[in-house]
Amino acid sequence: MTDIDCTTCEPARGISRRTVLRGMAIGAAVAGVSSALGPFGTRVAWAATPGYTGDTLVVLSLRGGFDAMSAIVPAADPDYYRLRPSIAIPAARTLPIDSRFGLHPALAPLTPLIDAGHLGFVHAVGLPAPNRSHFDAMDELEQAAPGSTLRTGWLDRMLALHDPDGPFGAVQMGSSTMPYSLAGPFPALGMDSLDGFSLHAAWDAASTTRWSNALTALHTGAGAALKESATGTLGALATTAALASAANTPTVTYPDTNLGHALSDAGRLIRGNKGARVITIDEGDWDMHAGMGTVDGGWMVDHLTDLGACLAAFAADLGSRIANVTLLTITEFGRRASENESQGLDHGWGSAMMLLGGGVVPGVHGSWPGLSDAALNDGDLAVTTDYRAVLADVLTNRCGASTSEVASVLPGFTGATLGVTRARA
Amino acid sequence: MAVSTAVTPVVRTVTQQVVVTYKYNARTHVTTVTRSRPRRVKARFVGTKIYLLNAAGHWARIPYIWSSRKAALVYNRRLHLTLIAAAKPKPKPTPPAPGADPSPGYVSKDPARHLLRRATYGPTPTLLEDVARLGIAGWVDRQLTPASIDDSACEAVLARLPDQAEPIWQVHDLLDRGERNGWDQLRGVMTAHVARAAWSERQLLSVMEDFWGNHFNVTTPGAEVPSSRAHYAHTIRTHAFGRFADLLRAVTLHPAMLTYLNNRTSSDVHPNENHGRELLELHTVGVDAGYGEQGVLNSARILTGLSVSWDSGEYLYAPWRHSVGSVSVMGFSHANTTKAGGEAVALAYINHLAHRPETAHRIALKLARHFVSDTPPTSLVEALASTYLAHDTAIAPVLRQLFTSTEFSASIGMKTRRPYEELIATVRTLGLGAELGTGVESIEALIWMAGDAGQPPLGWPFPTGHPDVAAAWLSTASTLARWNNTMNLVANWWPTTFTRPDLRRHLTYGVTPATCGAAVDMVCLRLFGRTLTPTHRAAVLTFLDEDADAPITENTGVLTWYLEQLVALLLNSPYHLTR
Repeated sequence: MTDIDCTTCEPARGISRRTVLRGMAIGAAVAGVSSALGPFGTRVAWAATPGYTGDTLVVLSLRGGFDAMSAIVPAADPDYYRLRPSIAIPAARTLPIDSRFGLHPALAPLTPLIDAGHLGFVHAVGLPAPNRSHFDAMDELEQAAPGSTLRTGWLDRMLALHDPDGPFGAVQMGSSTMPYSLAGPFPALGMDSLDGFSLHAAWDAASTTRWSNALTALHTGAGAALKESATGTLGALATTAALASAANTPTVTYPDTNLGHALSDAGRLIRGNKGARVITIDEGDWDMHAGMGTVDGGWMVDHLTDLGACLAAFAADLGSRIANVTLLTITEFGRRASENESQGLDHGWGSAMMLLGGGVVPGVHGSWPGLSDAALNDGDLAVTTDYRAVLADVLTNRCGASTSEVASVLPGFTGATLGVTRARA
Repeated sequence: MAVSTAVTPVVRTVTQQVVVTYKYNARTHVTTVTRSRPRRVKARFVGTKIYLLNAAGHWARIPYIWSSRKAALVYNRRLHLTLIAAAKPKPKPTPPAPGADPSPGYVSKDPARHLLRRATYGPTPTLLEDVARLGIAGWVDRQLTPASIDDSACEAVLARLPDQAEPIWQVHDLLDRGERNGWDQLRGVMTAHVARAAWSERQLLSVMEDFWGNHFNVTTPGAEVPSSRAHYAHTIRTHAFGRFADLLRAVTLHPAMLTYLNNRTSSDVHPNENHGRELLELHTVGVDAGYGEQGVLNSARILTGLSVSWDSGEYLYAPWRHSVGSVSVMGFSHANTTKAGGEAVALAYINHLAHRPETAHRIALKLARHFVSDTPPTSLVEALASTYLAHDTAIAPVLRQLFTSTEFSASIGMKTRRPYEELIATVRTLGLGAELGTGVESIEALIWMAGDAGQPPLGWPFPTGHPDVAAAWLSTASTLARWNNTMNLVANWWPTTFTRPDLRRHLTYGVTPATCGAAVDMVCLRLFGRTLTPTHRAAVLTFLDEDADAPITENTGVLTWYLEQLVALLLNSPYHLTR
């Protein structure tokens, strides 16, 4: 492997971050110790394992099956209105994106991001073949290696392209239950929130110190790995406490919702420069089989209102840091093209992905297959873009992955370049 | 050794590297030869097959994989063992190599406690009395005949959940008619699993249920198995100490496994290789046995037709799906000429695999890894594998031999409790019981707690099952979750519904020690069967902000308002984490 010349370090983050993180990798994860490590030691580490130089990738999983056609509305497609007589979003109420599509009015907070060129969409995207079971489709989506015997998620394989360099390389925010995409050997951290990532037994600073000292002492005499798991965890706790401190508050007010909290914490983590390569967030409850409401209100409007406001707040909070962040949404399947008799939508196939970030090419990407009877696949929006094409695009352009590295993250995938993101400067 | 691609048989004398020592990495399944010596042997090449002239003067075919990267033949592990056996006398029992993370200084050396830390989810005073009365071999024998152990208290808790022996068709029917909920059914499986781990008197059965449940993992909760998953757990328990051949057959033909690994939809037109592959790689001979991709395809073809009825959810042999034509894999060959005869071919194949020496070695290795050390001594693994084969794949004699082996008794402190094991051990040492009434919320909380720490019971997302080495469980997220789980349980913060003894009385038997130091010692003896090292004791007293010889008074926190903190700290130390 080649050495990394520091002049190629991405300037917005710079060498200090790398130094700190490499220090942690050596095992000195206790807060404060890292700064004592000189550049010599770190350079040696780099020579062996060049560090990650790409965007922070935020993967927002819209769990339950996201109905993309309620959000990025095919307002010029008469079949859409034929198939959804009671729940379609009227064309006149949508916020036009281009001649074909309009945004659901509940997503109005996102229009400035479209104007700023920070928001893009890929429509009619999904798994290469229909899979209408939540469990199976999520597993397949997040393993992203159909037909292989790999027992890892695609994010784990992406992360494994570079050695771990601290506990915050991969963080599941908002829940300590790890998604399949992060399954594998790369150490990932799950937390309900930055504030909640704490030792429950300690009630104040003195108590925290007391616990920290006692746990450290009781682990002296243990094997190296066990000892390190304790000291490393205590170090991560101290770091998280600093990230959650008043000195690192969000610059904007997020909606007081689960997603708002998770994205707010993601923003704090990114601002804290703790080497977050991947942040995953789960947002559930998109499984709208019945009573999803209309454009004027209800289940879908509530969810889109939250989603739009949260994403807008996240972008505003990031400010210029958005240049080094790519957020993408992902879902196990879209929903049926036609509504059922309960003003809901059953499990379908094609959906859409949203991409937010400084390197996103705005607009609605992908080829729209239409919703005519002939164009539908068993009653579903057909998938014209394999979701892995979007992942490959982001990996290549925003995460610094070479062609062979993309192939190792997404084995078996050979698709055309999409152009939904721009290469990093 | 050279390799030839000649089609006509060619015999030539070649140099063979006889393996003298090797290392087997159980996690990566990579065998690395550390020392070998050359010898000249006659080899016969027929196409891609290679035969060596054995001592009896016969050409013996050797299984191998060609590694283009190393430009060398890579034998399967069995051949290594054979060659080692030929090269030198059987090794004497050796003390276990240190595991990935041994903490031998932390635990009591008492053989009874050692046995109970390994063979149960945690010692209790009652179990210690049992071992004292029966002796180690006697206690193991009793555990190996679980029906002889009264388990009515645990069964009373299990009565709150669906009966796992309920026939699959009946559950299928109830789910179909909406009279039972699939999620509740799956949650019941996890809850019962946890309840048996925490409170069954048949502790070794509970441990083995988890062991086999992971060996034959069917991720729970998971799609499409609500009707069969409970019965699957029941099936595993039924065969846990019996012949592995029977267990393998029952599992391979079970609707839960056939569904999980997609064999129910496999057919002659499109053989689904998932089950055929895992049967070889995970359930029996192991990935390095040398069966190759052709072996996987043959395995998948043999299994075609083993399916599940959509009407009843029960096992169904579907002859029209079976792929006919001769099959050959891992020494099993069959003409396989009829659709109707396919099931018999599959059963013969399953039985064949159960009796393969590679399977014997792999089961022995996994058992030794679970009960002895992350890197168990070869002498023990070989001995257990021999016993397995000598007893027609019966598991009970293997376990009996394992627990009475010198390697086992020499392995004190060499295993680390995984998050789920540590959680259940905490429940047991604190004397927690399921809530009163008919609810199971307290037990279900343990499922979520274990999940937070990364080890949801039966919930590993892959067919491989939870890793069984310490190195896999030391992440920051897992460590913090464990620490918080412990405090939640000790302080009754969440869940609040367990029945629990008074903590102080539970730990001190109502005796008040004279000093703070003596109080720490007393609690440690109760929890660990030993006191702390002087350094650790000093650190704990600093934590308590007390001098060792400070007298216990009404105002001392050690046994009152600070007791929960003390116990949580101790249970979060390697004294409790070491198994």
